[in-house]
Amino acid sequence: MNRTPANARPEANKDATRGRRNFLLAFPFLVFAGVISTVAAAAFRFLRPLAPGVSSGAGDDPAWTTLAPLAELRGAQPIMREVGVERVAGWTSEREERRVYVLPQDNNRVLSTVCPHEGCEVVWRERENDFVCPCHDSYFNARGERTRGPARQDLAQLPARVENGVLQIRLEPSASVAEERPAVRG
Amino acid sequence: MKAETGAARAVQETASDANQSSGWLSRHTRIAGTAHAILDAPPLSGLDAWARTTAGVVVVLTLLQITTGVLLAFFYVPAAESAHTTVAFIEKSLPAGSWIRALHEHGSKWLVVALVLHLAQRLLMRGGWRRKPFGWIASVVLLALMLANGATGYSLPWDARAFYSTRVAASIAGGLPLVGPSARAWLLGGADLSTLTVSRFYALHVLLIPILILLTVVARLFVFREPPNAIPDNETDITKATAAITHDTQARDERAPDPHVPDARARGWMRAQLARNALAAGLVFIALALYAAKFPAPLGPPPEAAAQGYLPRPGAQFLWLFQLLKYLPGAAASLAALLLPLLLLGGLAALPLIQASRFARLTNHPRRNAGVVLFTLGVTLVALFTTLAYVEDARDPHTRKQLARQAQEEHAFRQTPFAPRRLRADDDTETTAPRNTTDDGATSSSPSNAPPAAYAKNCAKCHGANGEGKFANPSLVGITSQPRRTVEDLIAIQNNPAAYGLEARMPSFARKLSEDEKRAIAEWIASLKL
Repeated sequence: MNRTPANARPEANKDATRGRRNFLLAFPFLVFAGVISTVAAAAFRFLRPLAPGVSSGAGDDPAWTTLAPLAELRGAQPIMREVGVERVAGWTSEREERRVYVLPQDNNRVLSTVCPHEGCEVVWRERENDFVCPCHDSYFNARGERTRGPARQDLAQLPARVENGVLQIRLEPSASVAEERPAVRG
Repeated sequence: MKAETGAARAVQETASDANQSSGWLSRHTRIAGTAHAILDAPPLSGLDAWARTTAGVVVVLTLLQITTGVLLAFFYVPAAESAHTTVAFIEKSLPAGSWIRALHEHGSKWLVVALVLHLAQRLLMRGGWRRKPFGWIASVVLLALMLANGATGYSLPWDARAFYSTRVAASIAGGLPLVGPSARAWLLGGADLSTLTVSRFYALHVLLIPILILLTVVARLFVFREPPNAIPDNETDITKATAAITHDTQARDERAPDPHVPDARARGWMRAQLARNALAAGLVFIALALYAAKFPAPLGPPPEAAAQGYLPRPGAQFLWLFQLLKYLPGAAASLAALLLPLLLLGGLAALPLIQASRFARLTNHPRRNAGVVLFTLGVTLVALFTTLAYVEDARDPHTRKQLARQAQEEHAFRQTPFAPRRLRADDDTETTAPRNTTDDGATSSSPSNAPPAAYAKNCAKCHGANGEGKFANPSLVGITSQPRRTVEDLIAIQNNPAAYGLEARMPSFARKLSEDEKRAIAEWIASLKL
């Protein structure tokens, strides 16, 4: 393939020699680059971070998690609820309890307990009538709006809906990785 | 290929090379000398030059093994309970996972073939190993290490096939005279196959053996390196090696030759040879990539899911050993499995160290002939027994049917979507909790209650917490529907398992359990229904 013609003469011109020599030098690098880029492309797809998969693992629509019947959600105070979610990470799945607050006085809005500052968990203080984050002292009022402290946003509101008199929420994956691909494929 | 080059051209090239194309790198480093040492060989041409490209193929395949191995290590978890799950995850869920694993698995076999071809080429080419004794020894050592890495890697997926071949390996080690039992225990990391075995094999496979491989390569390239113009050890070699370059000797003589800097002629050959190597290695890579895309690496069901009558068959690279073990009893098998490869590889490695003159009366080329005999013996042995294994399996209709069924099972397993594994143990108790809610059952031994404490203490380790069986140990569920398995039989089995033809793995519990405990266990087992 890269052999010189057998009749190459000593007086063959210098450019041809150099061209051949350059080709011989470049060829191994080309092969090497080809192998590397093929493997690297596969490695990129292989190692790409997996989007976290979250589901309640029950019901006909796994995206929506049942929180409570509306009848149970009464009173002036935000109500803390725990929802069990199945969190799939790679080859493992873990049952995880997530806490949310339902605001019965506020159209049953559902607030996340994750502090928008650094991600600690806020708690409701009945006497002070506010949410406080124990980590860096961020305060939120009873509607989840920021009042003081280092947090710059209000408590996140989770998408919720009412189906047959039952309040359901949709839990978003906690990580910020875009959900381009599911964590588990068939 | 360069025989026609004249002295004039050589001088011209030397001059221009020294000024430009040898370049900055060559002037500031010893790269030219190193490359020369690696590629040093009498300027071969034609078929000889192409035969030597096995070296490039070995290099590329080795690098590929390292790369794919590192990639797999990002997900693989070496423990008995997670090894198979993570490999299945790589195979079924990860993009390109199946391909990368197939590259690693098939590549390991191709690498061994390439190394054997490389040895054959060195052996047959005149002076291939005499001129470079350390290159030869290093190649043999590399072959041994690559085989060892193949053997340890084979256990890592921890499917039924890996499980049984690991058990066979343990038995081979255990059958060695004198050191047998301790060799077995050291290999397994304990009395029996367990999660310790997996992590042990993993450490060997990804750390110890690769480090030895790296050390071998480094030692050969940078320490035990033959001088660039090693003196051939007999006259014919000198003639042959110098025949091609005699006509530009004059040109070399004019500038005092430095043995570490290759002359223009050698540089030209190196460039061409590098290109040949690259072409051969590139073609092999393309072939391997396509092969790996078409044929995924085998992955069977986990050992605990293997049905009774499962026929363990090792991979093609171990079939010769598998077949050999059929003919040899006990200790002889262990000795043969250990000594045969040791003698063959050791003998080959020792070739350059033999004093040829001592055997001069026997034959003209004692070392070369010995090498050819050893090499042919090894290749013939492997080929013969591998063929025998295939032929024997193909002839027996029962085996054929069972193997076909296993292939189908493996295919079915591959088709089922990956199911993530529950992480925490308390999750399991949560899901099984409803079964135990009938509290009154605890005293009246209802069918679905928890096993007796004596069972959990003595039996659960092998037969599973709920009698479901574990690894290759049988399930106890529904066992009373089989003949000779009444409650009385189950008590008798606990006293004397051998009397019921059970494997020696099942120990006697005659003195470890009270009569009441034995009966409680037997009755509880009888309560387990499918």
